[in-house]
Amino acid sequence: MDIYIKGIQIAYSGIQVTLQITIFAVIIGVIAGLIVALGKMSSIKPVKIVFSVYVEALRGTPLVVQALIVYAGVPMLLQKYGIAFKWEDPIIASILVCGINSSAYVAEIIRSGLQAVDKGQMEAARSLGMTHAQAMRFIIVPQAFRIILPPLANEFIALLKETAVLSIISVVEVTRKSMLWAAATFEAWPAYLGTAFVYLSITIPLSRLVAYMERRMAQSDRSK
Amino acid sequence: MIVVNNLTKKYGNLEVLRGITVTIEKSEVVCVIGPSGSGKSTFLRCINMLETPTSGEIYINGEQINKKDVDINKIRKNLGMVFQNFNLFPHMTTLENITISPIQVNKIPKEEAEKEARELLMMVGLHDKADVYPGSLSGGQKQRAAIARALAMKPEIMLFDEPTSSLDPEMVGEVLQVMKDLANRGMTMVIVTHEMGFAREVADRVLFIDEGLILEQGKPEEIFGNPQHERTKNFLSKVL
Repeated sequence: MDIYIKGIQIAYSGIQVTLQITIFAVIIGVIAGLIVALGKMSSIKPVKIVFSVYVEALRGTPLVVQALIVYAGVPMLLQKYGIAFKWEDPIIASILVCGINSSAYVAEIIRSGLQAVDKGQMEAARSLGMTHAQAMRFIIVPQAFRIILPPLANEFIALLKETAVLSIISVVEVTRKSMLWAAATFEAWPAYLGTAFVYLSITIPLSRLVAYMERRMAQSDRSK
Repeated sequence: MIVVNNLTKKYGNLEVLRGITVTIEKSEVVCVIGPSGSGKSTFLRCINMLETPTSGEIYINGEQINKKDVDINKIRKNLGMVFQNFNLFPHMTTLENITISPIQVNKIPKEEAEKEARELLMMVGLHDKADVYPGSLSGGQKQRAAIARALAMKPEIMLFDEPTSSLDPEMVGEVLQVMKDLANRGMTMVIVTHEMGFAREVADRVLFIDEGLILEQGKPEEIFGNPQHERTKNFLSKVL
């Protein structure tokens, strides 16, 4: 039994890194995602195309490949042009990769959230003399926010799990901790059971929270 | 005063309005009737530029509004609009629905805006609903709140786009009563409606629009009592 607890403890010692990467990545993802969403909804054709390609490229390639490109590929490219560059800490590269990756998904969440607000709302706001910007700020965004929140929390959960692949670029997070311990002790079964347990201890409460938010939203929709 | 001159609107190849010309005087109440898809809602929505006309001119108080360099937000302040589906803001209380635009657009102090909003709510009979959300209002109450919201901008002209069409029958009367009161106060009103009884009672003039044209217009007793055009007769025989 002790060996199982040890397995959990080992995995748990990587939680700080996993959470750190996830939280900062989501912050970058939300800010960049907002810009990308607005870019994709732009009425200027070239802008729309650039951001659409950005989203397609990021959603169409595995995170692990994106991590390798940024962590291993980019320094090599820069060195080729005589710029000495090396990632000081793979965590920084990880946050960047996950943030960029997440921005594509967040952009789609934001875009569909904004478009889910009834178009009569914009018309009513404009008919009252509001500018497009005022209508967005006071009428559309507050309503879209409630629609966006649950899928955004889901994106956080998805990203948290995805960070496991960062072990490939030598980030010592939850999964990597377990791998190192398993390699040293040959206790693969308790090691990876512990890994799973640690992820679940975060994802289960979070998905409960999302379910709760979705229920509350459904209620307020019924009373509209 | 509203002057519409040879207004057309096309969606691709579909010609919804085919040359509407009409002048609406100050304090006049004009009801627009006609079959579904005749273009009457599009006509109304062109008046405050929710739809962009394909050609023709629209003047409000002498100023052409369908020009490039016009500040449409400023003109819309003078044009209240009431929608078929109310379009109240569900994330705000009734009072906030009414005060948001006076506060944000007209920069009126909050206390003053709220005081005026309460007076408007009194007028439409919703003074006890100031602090509830639209979700808990009935259809008729929602539409009366929407009228109060439009009035809060102190418009000279009110546009109504089928204001009673999505109401349960027993709630139509309370909304029409508020509109009647407005008409009696001398508000200039353009109303797209299927309520023929209301049009007959309240309108100064009735426009019959079919296939994107004003086919016939006149005092309600003329239109309803002695329609000239075959299509008007046909339409009225179906709805009356």
